[in-house]
Amino acid sequence: MTVPTATPAGTAPSDPRDDRAPGRLATVLASPGTRLVGKRVLLAVPIVVGVSILTFWVLNLIPGNAAQQLLGPEATAEQVRALEQELGLDQPGYVRYLDWLGAAVTGDLGTSLVSRQPVTALLGERLAVTGELVGLAFLVSLGLAVPVALLAAYRPGRMFDRVSMLVSITGLSVANYVLALLLVLLFAVELALFPAIGFVPLSQSVAGNLHSMALPVAAISFPLFCFYTRFLRGDLVDQLQGEDYITTARAKGIGPGQVLLRHAFRNSSFGLITVVGLNLGTLIGGTVIVEQIFALPGIGQLMLQAVNTRDFVVVQACVLVFAVVAVLANLVADLLYAVLDPRIRYGSR
Amino acid sequence: MSELASESSNTAPAQRRPSASEGVRCELASEPVAEREDVLATATAAAPPPRRDPDRTEPLLVVDDLRIRFVGRGRTVHAVNGLSYSLAPGRTLAIIGESGSGKSVAARALMGLLPPTARVSGSARFDGTEMVGLSEREARRHRGADIAMVFQDPARSLNPTMRIGAQIAEAVRAHSDLPKAAAHRRAVELLSLVHLPAPQRRFHEYPHQLSGGMRQRVMIAIALAGEPRLLVADEATTALDVTTQAQIMELLLELQQRLGTAIVLISHDLGLAASYADDVVVMYAGRVVERARTADLFAHVRMPYTGALLGAIPRLEREPHSLLPVVPGQPPDLSALPRGCPFRPRCSSATDRCAEDPPLQEHEPGHWWACWHPLPDARPDAPAKEGV
Amino acid sequence: MAVVDAAVAVEAGPVRGRAGAWWLRNLEIAVPAAVVALVALACFVGPLVLPVPPPIGGSVLESYLPAGSPGHLLGTDPNGNDILSRILHGGRSSLTVAVAVNLLGLAVGGTLGALSGYLGGATDTVIMRVLDVLIAFPSLVLTLAVAQSLGASQTNTVLALAFFSVPAFARISRAATLRLRELPFMAAAQLCGTPGWRVLARHVAPNIAPQLITFAMLGMGIVIVIEGALSFLGLGIPPPAPSWGNMISQGQQSLSATPALVVWPCLALFVTVLAFNLLGETLRARWSGR
Ligand SMILES: Nc1ncnc2c1ncn2[C@@H]1O[C@H](COP(=O)(O)OP(=O)(O)OP(=O)(O)O)[C@@H](O)[C@H]1O
Ligand code: SF4
Ligand SMILES: [Mg+2]
Repeated sequence: MTVPTATPAGTAPSDPRDDRAPGRLATVLASPGTRLVGKRVLLAVPIVVGVSILTFWVLNLIPGNAAQQLLGPEATAEQVRALEQELGLDQPGYVRYLDWLGAAVTGDLGTSLVSRQPVTALLGERLAVTGELVGLAFLVSLGLAVPVALLAAYRPGRMFDRVSMLVSITGLSVANYVLALLLVLLFAVELALFPAIGFVPLSQSVAGNLHSMALPVAAISFPLFCFYTRFLRGDLVDQLQGEDYITTARAKGIGPGQVLLRHAFRNSSFGLITVVGLNLGTLIGGTVIVEQIFALPGIGQLMLQAVNTRDFVVVQACVLVFAVVAVLANLVADLLYAVLDPRIRYGSR
Repeated sequence: MSELASESSNTAPAQRRPSASEGVRCELASEPVAEREDVLATATAAAPPPRRDPDRTEPLLVVDDLRIRFVGRGRTVHAVNGLSYSLAPGRTLAIIGESGSGKSVAARALMGLLPPTARVSGSARFDGTEMVGLSEREARRHRGADIAMVFQDPARSLNPTMRIGAQIAEAVRAHSDLPKAAAHRRAVELLSLVHLPAPQRRFHEYPHQLSGGMRQRVMIAIALAGEPRLLVADEATTALDVTTQAQIMELLLELQQRLGTAIVLISHDLGLAASYADDVVVMYAGRVVERARTADLFAHVRMPYTGALLGAIPRLEREPHSLLPVVPGQPPDLSALPRGCPFRPRCSSATDRCAEDPPLQEHEPGHWWACWHPLPDARPDAPAKEGV
Repeated sequence: MAVVDAAVAVEAGPVRGRAGAWWLRNLEIAVPAAVVALVALACFVGPLVLPVPPPIGGSVLESYLPAGSPGHLLGTDPNGNDILSRILHGGRSSLTVAVAVNLLGLAVGGTLGALSGYLGGATDTVIMRVLDVLIAFPSLVLTLAVAQSLGASQTNTVLALAFFSVPAFARISRAATLRLRELPFMAAAQLCGTPGWRVLARHVAPNIAPQLITFAMLGMGIVIVIEGALSFLGLGIPPPAPSWGNMISQGQQSLSATPALVVWPCLALFVTVLAFNLLGETLRARWSGR
């Protein structure tokens, strides 16, 4: 009794990949996924504008007189009026916003009230430092969370799962400044393995830079690692226990490792992408305090200094940068999702 | 293409258990029903497997006093309570019953696919091998290769993010060390075997790009990938529209003819069983309440529950898992089953005697039922016999 | 649907009586709840009944006393103030801020989300777009900016944090309402001509409340951490008034010499946040039926 190898006439069993031939790029460009991407990009614009309005509005709530505060109590009325005129503070809010927006679109974020330097110049290098911090934290936390979550979900309820879940809920309850200080106490004060402060630029020494970044990155990544681990493990277990296609996969007789990786993880990774994108806003918010503790010359530190010196032009620029990065992260996650998930890539849903 | 393992094992003397229980002795094989002959005529590609006298063939599957309960937070659900049946190679058995009667649970137990909260006892021997109590690793060797399953909802049963070709190839490679390219070719073959149009192109598509019927064909291709000897179709057509239902059933029967696969057909639908099955088992609250060859059962329904199901038949358009009960009343709470006949609260023939468990007995040759007061036999020459 | 199921499960589930009390069989809820209650009791009632000195106005002569000194169980800080007393009073302000923020967020966000989900259409679109803008914000960053422009004070902290907690509550409330809208009894209520506000108040609100309250537990943890961060940066509770955040910040100056100044408030913060997180996670797992 042989299983018939039925091959309908006309379909030669040559390389079946051939019929993928009609240009992949062309298909993607014409796909509903592309249209969705376009829609998402268009939606991001009003969000960024909304954020900038909100920032502007909040910072202009300053009670009392900004110019007076900048100049100090001894300033004369003429000095104050002159400064107000110089800063445009005598004009109505919307005019000032539109002026600012017009300049911002051309890349001019104004001049610092304190250092009198162009804000874009101030931002330049600091953006690289914060970017490195966020990038490393991101790599470390995801790089650890994925294997840990997979191992935990491989045998839910077992020792490894329980311990990792306990660690992660604990880690989620440690504020990053608390963690930062404990790390300093342990690794810088007690063990003297890593420096507590003293940033080494990447251009000076790669090893030295990584050494100086170790504790800040650890302080940011650990809670993030805990968060990703919990999310991914939960989603994997939900899939494994609740999804019919998992039963199909198991009914084929393939091993649990393959079920986990090829089926559950593949599907969970889409949720993970979204969560990571949404989370990036919080992540970069967290850099403010960590940069402060470890004296890293990043955007967060710049912003905090500006807050303390009431340099609202700089504060405004920093908030805008943070917000734009958060919106962009979200957008990238959405786009990645659209490119990777076949259900969106090829329409439907 | 490879030889089906069943060829040899059909003739092999499978060690048969000393038939301690009534269930094992009952042999449910019968001649194919009329419907079958047409299908046979349309199956052209391969000669039908030589049919042996069914009564002398060793059964492929013997389920004996299978019991399954789920233990949870202070609540135990007795989903299956002493299920027994047997199935000969190449034949079709229908398991019929309301939602929650334990059909799926019993089928999944054969493959070791129940969640860890399930406690299985009793016996289910596949070709002489005990399937109850196998370790995960041992059970995995049989999944797909010996027993395969087609599930109810093809939309949810295929991985939405994997190309269907890859999903079939994965099943092919699960039990062979075919290289990737060969598994790929085999997957395309399987797609044409299940009559999916343009298999080369479909190979690269995703499940959401197919219609419901096409998806179910893909599910069947996956199930056949390991060349199983037993195919369990768990309400495989319930989620499909009527026309597609018939097409899928025809496909299953055609494949059965070609490949000699035995089929367990799980359904709510007595009509389906009447048209396609050789034998029928009617389940209620996790037990068998009646079983017989298909023709016998429909000619002479004896158990009141089967009768009620039959009364509710002409509703092919019924929604799958519809909220409206087919039979008036509610199925019993499986976590607190009272003594006695489980159908008692809904039965119009119930008497005080029904507070005692009616045993499942072979009251007529090949016709088993569990009831104290069976329905009168419609046959003119029927012996006016009351189940005692 | 989940809520209704969960409600049924809770009613039918753990039955009182027999072997052990309810709390014995639900330790994962009882323990964190007890810790939360204990922390609240210690912070609000403790200073009134325990013999602790006031949190401010200590004498420099008594500074840096070690733990276990007479009258100062946990020692004193650089200003000679009693650490235990400052932790208890600091906890008061942390908890007050957290409760106020979450109540505001729950009321405003919950209402907006339910309206958005219930009405759908243009209302839904407008509300959700506006909230998208807020969600895009790194909230700590903007809270810093608000704190700077409005000046650091407890009220301003509450307002700023509540502002940014609204979108989260609204999203949860909207999702729960959408799920609810598909249930038959909602359609029934609408068909009977029940006015919208009544449906919202009588049917929607009680059903989405458990999910919102569960999220509020997690929200308590989040707000306590952020409030600590603001105070740590000098933009929350203004010193000399005590708060866990500004105590940690003060202790940081002499971290290597007197780590205890940092460790005690850190511990208080950690234990409180952990208790709220455990409570929230367990409740969430219960509602989602896992
Ligand atoms: N994992 C589980 N835990 C607890 N009880 C379960 C579990 N799986 C199934 N059951 C219970 O076992 C009983 C039988 O379920 P089963 O799925 O076999 O019914 P079915 O006859 O296949 O019904 P349907 O026609 O709806 O598919 C049901 O009462 C169900 O609630
Ligand atoms: S045993 Fe009694 S209750 Fe059960 S089906 Fe028969 S008559 Fe009805
Ligand atoms: Mg079923």
